Amino acid sequence: MASVTLENVSRMYGAVTAVDNVNLKIKSGEFVTLLGPSGCGKTTTLRMVAGLEKNTGGRIAIGDNVVSDSDKGYFVPSERRRLGMVFQSYAIWPHMTVFDNVAYPLRIRRRPDTEVRDRVMNALRLVEMEQYAERPSPALSGGQQQRVAIARALVFEPEVLLLDEPLSNLDARLRTQMGDDFRALQQRLKITALYVTHDQAEAMALSDRVVVMHGGKILQVGAPEEIYRRPENRQVAAFFGTPNLLNATVKDCRPNGGQYFKLSVEGQGWSGDCHAATEMPKGADVTVMVRPENLHVRDAGQVNGDLSWSGEVSQAIFRGSHRSIMVKTPAQTLHVEASSLSNVDIGRPVTVAAPVEAAWAVRN
Amino acid sequence: MTIIHNRPLDDIAETAPTIAGNAFTRAFSGGSLWRLIGMLLLILILGFLTIYPLAMLLYGSLHSTPPGMAGEFNLNGYRSIMTTQNLIVLANTIGISLAKTIPSLTIAVFLAWIVARTDTPFRGTLEVLITLPFFIPPILTAMAWGMLANPQVGVINMVWRWATGATDPLVNIYSYGGVIWHMCQYSIPFLFLFMVDAFRAMDPSLEESSRMCGASRWTTFRKITLLLMLPVLTSSFMLSFIKGIETFESALFFGLPAGIKVITTDIYESINHRATPDYQYATSLSFAIMGLMFLLVIWQWWMLRGKSFQTVTGKGFRPSVMELGPWRWVTFAFCVLFFFITVVLPIGQLMLGSFFRFFGFYTYDMLTLEHYRAVFANSEFWRAVRNTMVLGLLGATATMALGAIVAYISVRTRWRGRNLIDSMAWLPWMMPGMVLGVGFLWAFAMLPGPIPIYGTIWALLLAYIALGTPVSVRVMTGAYHQLSYDLEECSRVHGATWAQTMWRIMVALAWPAFAVGWVLTFFGIMRELSASILLYSVGSETLAVVLMKLWANGNAEQVSVIGLMMMLLVIVFRWVQLSFIKSRISKL
Repeated sequence: MASVTLENVSRMYGAVTAVDNVNLKIKSGEFVTLLGPSGCGKTTTLRMVAGLEKNTGGRIAIGDNVVSDSDKGYFVPSERRRLGMVFQSYAIWPHMTVFDNVAYPLRIRRRPDTEVRDRVMNALRLVEMEQYAERPSPALSGGQQQRVAIARALVFEPEVLLLDEPLSNLDARLRTQMGDDFRALQQRLKITALYVTHDQAEAMALSDRVVVMHGGKILQVGAPEEIYRRPENRQVAAFFGTPNLLNATVKDCRPNGGQYFKLSVEGQGWSGDCHAATEMPKGADVTVMVRPENLHVRDAGQVNGDLSWSGEVSQAIFRGSHRSIMVKTPAQTLHVEASSLSNVDIGRPVTVAAPVEAAWAVRN
Repeated sequence: MTIIHNRPLDDIAETAPTIAGNAFTRAFSGGSLWRLIGMLLLILILGFLTIYPLAMLLYGSLHSTPPGMAGEFNLNGYRSIMTTQNLIVLANTIGISLAKTIPSLTIAVFLAWIVARTDTPFRGTLEVLITLPFFIPPILTAMAWGMLANPQVGVINMVWRWATGATDPLVNIYSYGGVIWHMCQYSIPFLFLFMVDAFRAMDPSLEESSRMCGASRWTTFRKITLLLMLPVLTSSFMLSFIKGIETFESALFFGLPAGIKVITTDIYESINHRATPDYQYATSLSFAIMGLMFLLVIWQWWMLRGKSFQTVTGKGFRPSVMELGPWRWVTFAFCVLFFFITVVLPIGQLMLGSFFRFFGFYTYDMLTLEHYRAVFANSEFWRAVRNTMVLGLLGATATMALGAIVAYISVRTRWRGRNLIDSMAWLPWMMPGMVLGVGFLWAFAMLPGPIPIYGTIWALLLAYIALGTPVSVRVMTGAYHQLSYDLEECSRVHGATWAQTMWRIMVALAWPAFAVGWVLTFFGIMRELSASILLYSVGSETLAVVLMKLWANGNAEQVSVIGLMMMLLVIVFRWVQLSFIKSRISKL
């Protein structure tokens, strides 16, 4: 398995920049996800690594080999990059059986029949599809097609495995299961994987690192928890879930002892402490992010958190696993995810509190 | 085809590739050198097939003498076509085409609705039967109807006189009505084929939501179904109208004897039926009709611009089927009647004609097999069979291969020049067979001496390829559109080169469409008369030409024999094609 390096990679379509100066290094055996809304350039980036698109700027290397360097006009076509790829549509060739589909990369490389047989059956066993080998491929369900596509991508032990939204065509329950299975397989085989998705939950559950992209640029790269809890800016913060984003002004800033800074902030009708990545001057405008699941609703006046707001309940929706509560405060309406057992009455005055670790400030 | 190998990231900066090596690899990695040569070759071939005869048409229309003779350039040809008589010819052409399009479209819509949207019994079989007339060469049914509805000795009129005692004939095929009647027999199945999938593929939820909003079935049909079908109906109308202007056989057989002339028969007559063929007149007229066709095609394009067909294509919906109750036997009878009139009657006439000594005298002692013996002993017949088969096999293969390549380049690549070859391949679409025939007549005659195409079987082959290319491109374009790019790209990523991908994925997946198009083109060649009759010479006659000659000599009995043979061939091919499609559908 090999690493993947992207240096200043860009892709222009006429005057439109689809991918803008992307730098990324994927370590061998690492699972990296490109995450972003549609049109953010994530699929284009993947296709440039695959060699299905030519980068108009920068260079791409797989392992120690440069595969594309736009300045030197150097370009290795897809078929010579030794990659495996799973397409969003799976691209299972309808005129072949399951076995023929998986055997294709080996037969193209003119491997002897016995070797083809062994390796195809091994790959099919890996995805638990060996009993379907002789099926005509159109007779497969979506989940089975996806397994075949993975077997085909793995059968000749590619340098890197590329996946373009492979789970998006499956139903929700199957999606979670296939995702978990695939992550287990990836860790067992130590495959370098580059994965594209627009689904945040999928990205967090599968990846070693997540690359958040927007408008052709990388906004942030980091471990899922890092990105979720400590986004670098408001855009990344807003991308995951529906966080409460509050405008505030810095009153005080001091080192936390660790790698963060502790801020005292004041907003409209509230004040309290929170964390930030960098030192901020007094008086700076910041956005404080608090996720709904980290907020607690208490009886009015009862303050035992680092941050608190007082207001009244304006809406409560039972969602099965939890209860969504809207609390109207002088600053703004706060969204709280409370236990589904909690009982709240509309119009009741309450205090909403959050611990200091749950509040994260970014510069506006 | 990249020649240089992967190199480490660090030393690529130090050992920059040389200019020569770089240019070489760049040329080959993208295949652009070969691509350039291939594109030029393709443009050359298409240019010879389409632009060259078109240019020669213009040249010939300004040239005072027949092809290949010294002459001067003048505008006499265009002057000579500006006559009141030709105004009548133009009015005839347009009038007849309109008169056949309107009833054809109505009946075709009705038939398509019966087959696609009602619970009429045996719809699958009916669909096959209804479309069969489309595949029968028009010359056969024209001759059969010439015998059936002949005012003196036609079977229909004989039965009528016998049954009623009347002395006047019931029908006379040699009339405006006869021409239109014969054209309708081809327009209806053609329009049916064109529309039935649109009826079938319509999303039923669009209609259901109208019903849910409180509209009755009839209101829904008027306000939703029909309006959704409007783009299809409009383009069907235009297509049928254009085809009507191009038609040759109906007007030749039933119009000319009654003195009814249309543009195609006028061109034919001025070359074949005059003491001295007037080539300049014919060529000028051909060029003028091309201008007319061009305007029509532009009009068609303008009418259909921006109209979306999205509601009626895409997913395979199961449309809601209307339950007709006892009325379903009425619709069933209507379909059977259509089949009876357009197929059974002509075939019956041909059989009748082939077994009696003289056409029109149907008594027991006139029964004979002598016409069969005469035809099978006729070397000219066997030569025509051989010619037709060779032309059909070669022509269909070459046309489809050309269409497959052109469609691939215009649909699946972004190569420069793809729009050029696409429009070149489309050019014959607005050239009626007769006009293309005149164009090739000039084109072959003007070739330098060492290329003796004129008067050989190759002349016909080239004309057939030119005539068939627009359809073959369309068929293959449709096939490629259905294959997602992923299938191709996936193969490339997993190690296959462009050539391997073409062979193992694209060819393997597109060949069913190729085969269907091949059979269509083969049928097209077998029925072709208008270009053949201008371009054949002794030794290169096709079956249609031989039939035409026998008919002109009044030998209706042998015509019947040959007609039956061709009919048999059509039915066998159609059966093979249908069972092939069936096996393909069950496989995929």
